[in-house]
Order: sequence, then C-alpha cells, then structure tokens
Amino acid sequence: MTPDRFEDHVWADVVPKDLIQIYAPYQRETFVGPKPALILIDLYNLAYRGGPVPPVTLQDQFPSSCGIHAHNAIEPTQRLIASARAAGIPVIYCTSDQRPFAAPRGVGATRRKKPSAAQRFPDDFEIWADFAPHDGDVVIRKQRASIFQGTPLISHLNLLGVQSLIVCGESTSGCVRASCVDGYSNGLHVSLVEECTFDRHELVHKMNLFDLHHKYADVMHIDEVVAHLDSASAEKVAAE
Amino acid sequence: MTERIWDKFLTERDKTVLSAGGFGALADWGNRPALIVIDVNYAFCDEEPKPILESIKKWRTSCGEDAWQAMPVLQKLIGICRDKGIPVIYTTGTRRADNWDSGSWSWKSKRSSEAPVLKSDGRDGNEIVDEIAPGPRDLVVLKQKPSGFAGTPLASYLQLLGCDSLIVTGTTTSGCVRATVLDAFSLNFRCTVVEDGCFDRTQASHAINLFDMHAKYANVRPSDEVIDHLNILPQGMFDLPSGQGMSTRVAAE
Repeated sequence: MTPDRFEDHVWADVVPKDLIQIYAPYQRETFVGPKPALILIDLYNLAYRGGPVPPVTLQDQFPSSCGIHAHNAIEPTQRLIASARAAGIPVIYCTSDQRPFAAPRGVGATRRKKPSAAQRFPDDFEIWADFAPHDGDVVIRKQRASIFQGTPLISHLNLLGVQSLIVCGESTSGCVRASCVDGYSNGLHVSLVEECTFDRHELVHKMNLFDLHHKYADVMHIDEVVAHLDSASAEKVAAE
Repeated sequence: MTERIWDKFLTERDKTVLSAGGFGALADWGNRPALIVIDVNYAFCDEEPKPILESIKKWRTSCGEDAWQAMPVLQKLIGICRDKGIPVIYTTGTRRADNWDSGSWSWKSKRSSEAPVLKSDGRDGNEIVDEIAPGPRDLVVLKQKPSGFAGTPLASYLQLLGCDSLIVTGTTTSGCVRATVLDAFSLNFRCTVVEDGCFDRTQASHAINLFDMHAKYANVRPSDEVIDHLNILPQGMFDLPSGQGMSTRVAAE
C-alpha cells in the first residue's frame, strides 16, 4: 500500500492525532518481500474454545480463548492459506511444545496463571481443524512466545531460501509480536495480515498492530496479500 | 587430490572406517556465498612472520609463520570477492580493557591473566592485520566466543544478503574456524573451508580438524579450486553496503 494510506488500518479509531504526528517518520510503502513463507502463529484449538462470543464471557471456562476475534479470523485465514498453497510458498505453523520432559517448571510463552485441570483438554494445542496442516508443511513446537526462540526455524528458512515472512495468528500482543520482532531482527522482511491476526481484546490488538506496523512489520490487508500471492501463482502457471 | 594434509595422522583403521561409513562426500557449493575471514588479527599472527616459539613469547595466541603463509591466499580470495561483489565478512575479537568479559577463555589458559598485549605502535591485538585490512564495503563482526555466530548479528547479515553458503578462511582451524563452520552447518548454510587459507598454532590440530570438517560438515578445498569456482559466479549478485563515509585503512601492498 502506498505511504498516503499507511494509517488505513484497524487502529485508526483509537489512535489520537498527535501520536500519528509523532510517528510520521515511519510512513512508507508496505509490501510482501521476496521469497516469502507463510507463518501461522498458534492457531490451536485453545484459541477458539467457547465459540464466537466476547472473550470476557469465557474467562472462567476458557481463559485462553480469543472467542469472537478468533472466529472472525477463520474465513480470511482460510483464504490466505489457500492462496499461499496455490503460490507454492512454504507453510509453517507453530504451536506450544507440550511434550513430556520438554521443559523445566516456569517455562512458558507468558507469565499468566496455569489453567486448572478442568480447563485443560488433550487436544488444546492441536491446530484448529479448518487449517489442518498438509503433508509437506512444517509445524514448529515452541516453548516461549517467539517462533524463533529455541527452535530450528532459521535453519529451515535458510534451507528453503526464504527471505521474508507473511505472518498471521494469535495473540497480536504476545506470540505474534515476539515472532515479528525476531523475524525483523533476523534480517527478514515481515508482512503481517491484519484480518488474520487477533487477540483477546480489541484495544490490545489495535495498539500492538500499530506498534508492529510502525517499527518492525508491514501490516497489510488480506486482499492485498492474497492479490500478491495470486499474481505470483499466475506467473508460476505462465512459466509452466 | 590423492594425498591430503591429514592422511599422515590417520591410522589404517581410520581410513577404512571413513570410507565404509560414506563420509567425506563432496557437497554442492551453493550459489550465493559470502567469504568469511576469521580472526586474522595481530594477536593470532604477530606483527610480522616469526618462528612460532619466538612469537608466542609476546603474543600467546600467535600461530607464527603459518599465519603469514596464508596471507597471500587471503589477499587473492578477498580481491576476487570484492571484484565480483561477493560479501567479504571478517570476524575479530572484542574485549573490555579489564578483561572481565573473557569469561570462559580464562578457564583453560595459564597465561590468561597476563595484561593484554598491544602492538609496538600501540594498536590492539584484535585489530585485523593491515595486509588484509577490511575495505569500506566489507563487514566486520565483533565476537567474544569461538563461533562467529555466538552472540553476534552474523546470521541476520547472511539472511539480509540472501547468502546460502560460506567460504571460510582464517584462524584457528581447530577453534574459531571449526566453531563457525559447525554453527553455519547447523543453520543449513553450505560451507567450503579453504585448506591453505586456514591456519592453527598446532600442526596436528590443523590437519585433524580439517579432516573432521571435510568428513562431516564442509568441503575442505585448496584455494586454486575455490578461485576457479568463484570465477564462474555471476557478477554483482548482492546488495552490498555502499561503503560511503567509511573511514578505511589502505591495505599495505
């Protein structure tokens, strides 16, 4: 998207004018970088528990659910994945590493209270069925917020010749943010898909997208990213 | 290549095991290399070629004359890479004046408590030798541990440049060269080690570490072959630093 539309995003209604003014030097053209991979952060069942309702109503039973925000993102995320597959780019998921003996006590993606036995299910960290990984996809198991931290991701990206990331998933303020910042720090161009990214609360979602967009990543709309990937697959077909 | 530098150190059983196990195959070179020059500084080379036993009296980490035998090879490789627009990346050490951050380095040397030595003109031992001084468009990565990757931005630079492989030179073969090759291997970068562009202070370590790397992690090749390979690569593949505004030392001829 062109620099004049840099602030045409979901945070527009909460960000005051003086803040936009202070952040003017970040304005630039946004784009999907060369040789991208699709990175799907933490699209596991736990995030969708309790159905499309406000997360605050799920606090007791499913405190990790993003409720309505997760469910609103399902359709665009399906579109994004389909378009990435058609373009033939690598599709890389991550989920929480729950394997026995994998980590000492106190290791986790955040400092929140651990769920009670009644709040836990064996398939909590399986990928949500709508996005079930295909043969040839990669699923990274991580113990912390960032998909890079303590994982083989960079070696996989090098093997594949990946030079940039298209990121989506949850939560915007937690694992998505950490992964985008690490991607940036590792020399990758990061594009973050707004409609396919979510959190438990809109305000946190918006302000974290705002931060990421200005400093580390190009927050882009699903239509732009899909259009880019579709033109890439059209080129691929033409070449074949 | 029939006789290799390590052959004389191997037992007959070693040779049989190596070939029966299928080790030491020649891997692909990769298409987008960076030249890595590890720690070719005064602390490892001395200020001029001197017999090693003489040299280590002042510079306890010196590799003596072997360092200076590699110097023309390094000059040639660096020159070709600069002409081709292939990234040239140096590493060298960095240390606080009080040496607090030497950390684990102090655990295995009886001479580590010696005050840091300076060159006769007052320059630091970590400075890269003038004969192969970094140019304005080269990169210098400062490190504190053997691997060029440990606690440094090297991996992110390679990512940004779109490199898929490293051509590794410098010192010591058994220490920082090997550690860097290992980490590069673990990150899925293809590695070529330039046999006559590497050196060590211990002859047996040099040979056996080249042997190990060639068996498992890298192609260990003579510089002539590496130069032939570099010459077939396209010109200007990389978006290198412009070099503008970089103060630069002129390489001594």
